[in-house]
This record gives sequence, C-alpha cells and structure tokens, in this order.
Amino acid sequence: MTTMTTVSARGTVQVENLTQIHRSGERTTHALDNISFTIPAGKFVSVVGPSGCGKSSLLMLLVGLAQSTSGELRVAGRPVAGPDPARIGVVFQEANLFPWLTARKNVEFPLMIRNMSVKERETKARDALELVGLDEFGDRYPHELSGGMRQRVSIARGIVQDPDVLMMDEPFAALDEQTRMVMGDELLRIWERTGKTVVFVTHSLTEAIYLSDHVLVLSARPGRIIDRIDIDLPRPRTFELTSSAEFIQIRNRIWEQIRTA
Amino acid sequence: MALFAIPDWVVRSALVVGFLAVWELGSRTGMVDPRLLPAASTVIGTALSLLETAAFRAHLWTTIAQTMAAFIIAVPVGAILGLLIAERPYASEVLKPLVFFVFSIPKSIFLPMFILAFGIGFGQKVAFGVFSAIFIMMMTAFAAVESVKREHLMVARAMGASFIQTLRSVYAPSMAPVLLEAVRLAMIFNFTGILLAEMYASRSGVGNQMGLWGQNFMIDRLLAGILIVSVLAILFNEVVRALETRLEHWR
Ligand SMILES: Nc1ncnc2c1ncn2[C@@H]1O[C@H](COP(=O)(O)OP(=O)(O)OP(=O)(O)O)[C@@H](O)[C@H]1O
Ligand SMILES: [Mg+2]
Repeated sequence: MTTMTTVSARGTVQVENLTQIHRSGERTTHALDNISFTIPAGKFVSVVGPSGCGKSSLLMLLVGLAQSTSGELRVAGRPVAGPDPARIGVVFQEANLFPWLTARKNVEFPLMIRNMSVKERETKARDALELVGLDEFGDRYPHELSGGMRQRVSIARGIVQDPDVLMMDEPFAALDEQTRMVMGDELLRIWERTGKTVVFVTHSLTEAIYLSDHVLVLSARPGRIIDRIDIDLPRPRTFELTSSAEFIQIRNRIWEQIRTA
Repeated sequence: MALFAIPDWVVRSALVVGFLAVWELGSRTGMVDPRLLPAASTVIGTALSLLETAAFRAHLWTTIAQTMAAFIIAVPVGAILGLLIAERPYASEVLKPLVFFVFSIPKSIFLPMFILAFGIGFGQKVAFGVFSAIFIMMMTAFAAVESVKREHLMVARAMGASFIQTLRSVYAPSMAPVLLEAVRLAMIFNFTGILLAEMYASRSGVGNQMGLWGQNFMIDRLLAGILIVSVLAILFNEVVRALETRLEHWR
C-alpha cells in the first residue's frame, strides 16, 4: 500500500485511496470513496460538492479527528495519526470559542495544552491576534465580539502554533455575505503573508473559485473526486473578477459537474 | 421587593431582633416556662461563654474540620464520578437509576453500618458526610454534562488535549454553573450528616455535646448549641456563595 513517494516539502498534503464508511449501530454510510489527491505546499485548495457528500468527513480525517476505513493520508510526508495542531491547524464552521475565556485566552488555549510558558504563550497569541487584525480585542469575551470577529479569533487559534497546513470546514458559512467577502480577502492576506497550505471546504462555488489555486469537486455520496480545476486567475483577486467571463465559465463548469454527477 | 423603600437587610434584621425580643419577653414574663425556654439573653450569654472554653472550641473545630474534609472530598469526587458515568452510554444506562434510587433512601439508616465499618472517629464522620452529600453531586453532574457542548470537546480534542486537560478546561467551566447550585445543597446534606453522626455515636464534636446536653436536660446549653450550629451553617453557606461569585464569569 505504501506506494506514495515521500515529498520533503512541509505543508504538502497527500491523500491516497481514502475511503470512509461511517458505522453507527446497524447503519453504515459510505461517505468517501477512494479519494486521491496531492496538494503541493503553500497552495490554497478548496473542496466543493453537494451537501452530505463527505466534505466534513474528509476534513475530519485530514486533521486526525477521525479514522479512515482505508487509505493513506500524509502531511509533510508523515502519516496523520491523530490531532497534531502544531503541524495541522483547524478552523470549524462555527467559531466554537470557549465563552468563559477572553479572545486572547482562547487563542492561547492550544499553547496551554502544550504546557508552553506563560510568556511565550502571550507573545504568540499577540502575534496571531495581530495577524487577524484583532490585537485591540484580546481582552474581550466572545459574546462581546461580532460573528466575523469570533471567526477571526478562531482562525488565530488555528494558526497560533504556526502550522504548515490550515484546514477549514466552511469557516464563513455562519456569516452574512458581506462579512464573508471581507473575511475571504482577510484570509487571502493571511495566507499570502504566511505561505501556509490551506484546505478550504465550502458550499459556495464563488468563494471557492475566488480564493483558490485549485478546486476539488466531489460527487454526491459516496464522495469521489470528479474534477480538479486549476484556477489561473491573476492575484490579488478582486471583487470585479467574480463577474468576469472567465470566472463565470469556471463556475458554470463546476456547477454542471455537481448537478449531473 | 422593597417595602416602603426600606432596604431588605433592614427589614430582615428587624425581623430577627423582633423574634429575639418576643423570645426574651415570653421567657421573662413567664408566658413560656423559662426552664423549657430560657431567655434569649441567657442563651446568647451561654453561647459566648461556651465559645470561651477551650474544650468546647475543640469540639467545634472537630465538627468544622470533619465538615470541610467531607465537603472537599464529596464535591469533586461526586462531580467527576457523575461525569464519568454520564459520558459512558453503558455506565449511564446501568448506574443512573441506581444512583437515583440510593439518593432517595434516607442516609441515616446507614449510620450503624458506618460505625461497624469505620468506628466512631474522625474518619467515620467524614465518610458519612461524603456519603450524605455525594449523590446530589452525582445526580447534578448527570444533568450538568448536558451543558457541555460537543463542539467544545471537539476543539479540545483537535488541540490534542489530554483527558485531564479537557476535564479542567472544558468540562469544569461548562458544568460549573449547574454544579454550583448543587454545591450548596451538598454542603447542607454533608453538615446534616456530620452532626447526625456525632449525635448518634461519637466522643467529640458539637453534635456529640448537644446530644449529651439534651440527655441531661441542659436546655440553655442545648439552645446555645443550636444557635452556634445555625451561625456555623450560615457561615458554610456564605463560603459556598463566595466561591460561586468568584466563579461567576464562567457562566
Ligand atoms: N460520525 C458519523 N457517523 C455516521 N454517519 C456520519 C458521521 N459523520 C457523517 N456521517 C454521514 O456521512 C455523510 C457525509 O457527511 P459529511 O458531514 O461529511 O458531509 P458534508 O459534505 O460535510 O455535508 P455538508 O455540506 O452538509 O456539510 C452524511 O450522509 C452523514 O450523514
Ligand atoms: Mg460539512
């Protein structure tokens, strides 16, 4: 089975013949079917597909929160055996901040888990909050922040350990459209500054095309990769781009595939 | 609710003073038999002089120490046991009804068993105090687990938190608001259990002294004991309340 060649670059994500069958009691759900792809280090890749096709299942496998039924999964050439936030950062659909901690303490949480010294924790948390533009808001509690700000804190928490890869499961789905656009630009800015590999699950084709270098299109359940599209649109991306003929053409192509798959 | 805009605490104090005055008058005028109900001033005087004797203070400390020890054991152990049971489907199914069942049995009937098992010393009192208080903590923990968000547990897991770390950083703050309500009850059950155990069979403690005074018809001391225990109960309650306010921001 170990046919994969080990690529030394940090942040490379390799997935080979990944299959996931959920079992709950008697019922089995075939979520992912024989998925293979490779993401070169530093790329921004989106995963799209119809609801229930297994996108979240894939992400849970990628961050080590679930065990695959079969197949292989490597980040930076090493298998993913369990959660490893220092290597693989994760941001969920809901910010899921701890309401009893301030924004800063939430960002410090993964560092606290690693028993890092208070001083080091504070420095890193400050840097991460600054990166997401919230250095002024460290002492606020989550309920004192807007939805977009909460999600930015969650991103800061995901990248505070400077992981090579950032995995995001519909991180902006709970936000309104305007905030969503702003957050997308924000994420691109962070991505460009840090050079991390980003795996970005989303429902929005526009968002996927706007942000990504590559888009992986999954079929309806059981999820298979039915297309991998390179987005060669120039960067920095602008809002006007979303109404260009080329953009619309790509979007139609993806939509056609999702619809007919 | 303010009565004629008089602060609540003034009304409350007035009620207490009024009660003491009626008691004092009733006893002094002979409306009630002073041998059965000595005057309030007499009882307060007795209480103060009791507190001055080293022997009584030793009994008092014994009771306080036993109560605190049992409390410090029962609260976390009950909460963690309850959590462990609630988080395991099989254990939940089997053990939850049993805990409810044991909770509903009056704990006092087990006192003779505790004497057989632990003797009549400090350890037995603490054990009985723990036994009296632990079930309310467990049952409350069953309910409190519901307020732990699965997403928060997932975040902890994604960050590589160990079970102990998750316990401290997710379970404890999530469950605290619900658990805190039971902590006060646990203190009451615990204190009741300790005093009962002292009255039933003991060589020391306030409960033991009060039992003796009752048997010897020393009414003034008995009432002084009641007064002291009441104040002690209020103090325990205030300690728990102070704890609650310190943990308030977890809500
Ligand atoms: N832990 C689980 N146990 C059993 N079945 C599961 C589990 N997680 C997911 N599934 C099932 O696997 C399938 C894929 O779910 P998944 O959440 O990965 O889809 P998704 O693509 O993320 O959907 P959406 O776009 O709606 O978020 C669904 O049919 C779901 O019911
Ligand atoms: Mg999903």
